[in-house]
Amino acid sequence: MSASRPPPPPPTLVVGLGSADRGDDAVGGHVARALAALEDPRVVVAQYADPTDLIELWTGRDRVVVVDATCSGAAPGTLRLLETGTQQSPLPEAAWVRTGRGGTHAFGLAAAVELARALRRLPAHVTVVGVEAATLEPGAPLSPAVAAAVPAAVAAVLDAVAGPVGARARQGGSADVPG
Amino acid sequence: MSHKLTDGGQVMHVGTLARVEGEGAMHIEYHDGVVTDVQLRIYEPPRFYEAFLRGRAHTEPPDITARICGICPVAYQTSACWAIEDACGVEVPEEIASMRRLLYCGEWIESHALHVFLLHAPDFLGYDGAIEMAADHPDVVERGLRIKKAGNDLMEVVGGRSIHPVNVRVGGFYRMPSREELRSVRGRVERARDDAMATVQLVAGFDFPDMEQPYEYLSLRAEQGYPIEAGSVVTSSGGAFAVRDFPSHVREFHVEHSNALHARLDGSPEPYVVGPLARYSLNSDRLSDAARAAASAAGLGPVCRNPFRSIVVRAVELVEACTEALRIIDGWSDGVAPSVPVPPRAGEGFGASEAPRGTLFHRYVLDDEGIIRDAQIVPPTSQNQASVEADLRRLVEAWSDLDDHALQHRCEQAIRNYDPCISCATHFLDLTVDRR
Repeated sequence: MSASRPPPPPPTLVVGLGSADRGDDAVGGHVARALAALEDPRVVVAQYADPTDLIELWTGRDRVVVVDATCSGAAPGTLRLLETGTQQSPLPEAAWVRTGRGGTHAFGLAAAVELARALRRLPAHVTVVGVEAATLEPGAPLSPAVAAAVPAAVAAVLDAVAGPVGARARQGGSADVPG
Repeated sequence: MSHKLTDGGQVMHVGTLARVEGEGAMHIEYHDGVVTDVQLRIYEPPRFYEAFLRGRAHTEPPDITARICGICPVAYQTSACWAIEDACGVEVPEEIASMRRLLYCGEWIESHALHVFLLHAPDFLGYDGAIEMAADHPDVVERGLRIKKAGNDLMEVVGGRSIHPVNVRVGGFYRMPSREELRSVRGRVERARDDAMATVQLVAGFDFPDMEQPYEYLSLRAEQGYPIEAGSVVTSSGGAFAVRDFPSHVREFHVEHSNALHARLDGSPEPYVVGPLARYSLNSDRLSDAARAAASAAGLGPVCRNPFRSIVVRAVELVEACTEALRIIDGWSDGVAPSVPVPPRAGEGFGASEAPRGTLFHRYVLDDEGIIRDAQIVPPTSQNQASVEADLRRLVEAWSDLDDHALQHRCEQAIRNYDPCISCATHFLDLTVDRR
């Protein structure tokens, strides 16, 4: 009888967050669709606009990657990685300024993370892959800089799926990655 | 943050007003216990959309206007559909109207659950926000998330997705959900109705500041049932008119401090109010038995004029929306054509529906090829700007003995009473109070 292989780890949930109709806010969806096209068995991909949906989505999961647009003043297309989860302390407010604080529903990604933590429904590892936006204009397409950053964001997600971002990010902090 | 002015006055500045839908600015000037100026400063993308719609095809407004707001896209889609169909002389069959009502129930459930639990309840329970509240009341927050999820599910099964539904078209829907698909969400909606009943009980026990609004109330009123997706217009002073007469009764005008047009009813300089309080006060006799019983147990009379009690009315409307959704799901039969043709013709059309925040009016002028030559959108938050300002004026004067922190909190709470949807809008809502 041959030795049985250990079962593969459960796939990592990757969520593309943001409105499809507000300029670069759609980047989360673009990255999610590009990932889905790779048909990588290590990931399951979802696309959502409402951050409160995340709590339901990620309950019971160990590792989640969220892709969202950021507004930090950096050059459009700049990638930022942010590590959080039950294994990490709550992020300082300053860290969240870099991601969509308000969201479409006055309840942004940061609020969803911290609400999930309070409800004990936060995964152990949550990696936020932020893509710096140039425009959030209603009806606008992705800006060229952000569209060009999509492949790098996909690569960053796959890196995060392969393991914690710790090598690049301070604990509870964030790290810039060349876009 | 507050500091003294050289003339003895005082400025209080709040960097960000949290827990409102979107971003804007509020400025209050205050001198010797008298408020000298109150300005709600917001920007209004509907203005941009009105221009953007000109030259577009008559089939496009449901998709285009749904983008105005992430929390009430169905309201925009529905008012747009009614208006375009009116312009083209088309009346949709009852089943299509019912499915619009079901989709709209999903939006009410999503929107009201978000506001009641995550944005407004923390004010009454003494927390800075839902996150802090969740630590002590996880069951309350979980209940809110459950109710909201039922709304999301309804939006997905009818609208195709939970934000910005893609299944809505002029004349109806691209595809009707099947009875089996509708039944698949029934259990969750039923649970949400029970949760909503418990919510009415919970919020009825909150402590409400004593305040009565003297303003005129305006809402739709339907031939039967509580007004959600359709109706004609009624007011608390006995006014009643068809949606097509809305522009002759409601005049929009520009004020210096806001990019959103203000609105005046029948030329009166006094503010008027749209939204849950107006809807309830003008239609409480039309509630379902379940919602009426919940309202009665919560101590609501047939009319409610205390804006702080709007959280109770929203909870009652959650019961109503869940009850209505169950009624429509249970009565649904397959085999209904998803849409009717809406061939273009030259004309002007009018449409209105009750967005979670109040009456949302659309008007379109089409040429004979169906190209939009003019568009007008009157959103509820625009109409309520003057009453928000009037409330703040009264509250700041009545509560002048409160310290800055308490006063600021009360002002923010007073703004949240309206669940203002400024998200169709701008950046942060900065609140400044200038005490002199």
